[in-house]
Amino acid sequence: MEDNTAQFKVIANGPLQVSGNFELFDSEGEIITRQGPVFLCRCGMSADKPFCDGSHKKSGFRG
Amino acid sequence: MEDPRNRQYTNGEITVFWKPSKCIHATTCFRELIEVFNPGRRPWVNMDGASTRKIIEVVKKCPTQALEWKYNKDMDEQSLAANVTYKDEVTPETLTSQNKSPEQDLHKTARVKVMKNGPIVVDGHFEVSGADGNKFRSVVMTSFCRCGGSKSMPFCDGTHRKIGFIDTNE
Repeated sequence: MEDNTAQFKVIANGPLQVSGNFELFDSEGEIITRQGPVFLCRCGMSADKPFCDGSHKKSGFRG
Repeated sequence: MEDPRNRQYTNGEITVFWKPSKCIHATTCFRELIEVFNPGRRPWVNMDGASTRKIIEVVKKCPTQALEWKYNKDMDEQSLAANVTYKDEVTPETLTSQNKSPEQDLHKTARVKVMKNGPIVVDGHFEVSGADGNKFRSVVMTSFCRCGGSKSMPFCDGTHRKIGFIDTNE
């Protein structure tokens, strides 16, 4: 069987890349997507939360 | 009124108090001391898993009052009597896994939940790798910082509450 374990890759000074077998839910428990890869905002500045919109580059996010 | 889900665990020397309603899933406790705090186990707190000194150190790192501790010698009789073994275990994991189906276990899906004005909480079957490709120690549950302010990146350390992080898309 193909190993499709969910992978969370922390991109340096950028978003969190999620792929593989996962389900993404909002805070109400409603499903957002099962389809990866998705890039989730880590810097707190995205206008498209929970997704990354490239704002980390403008804000000079380090982490 | 006391929350009926509150729990307390003792090793005879100290008692650790667990208040699920205060938990923000920073997951500091399991990342630091899975031998004691393991949400995949019942009961989820094993007071024999580490020294008293180490348990106190990790409890103090909890960013909320979800975990607190006291020396047993400083407790009154009534609170000591509440140190019992529970059958209906409440764990941090059950708070995010209420809708888990058998199929999800079968397919080993990771459940990723975006918390309101808080972190990204993950449980289930998953792997985490850093920017350098190195894998982090695998745990059953973790939470990633979403506010940009954590001092233990990429993980949540509770800073979002201090800085008043607001997700305006909520």
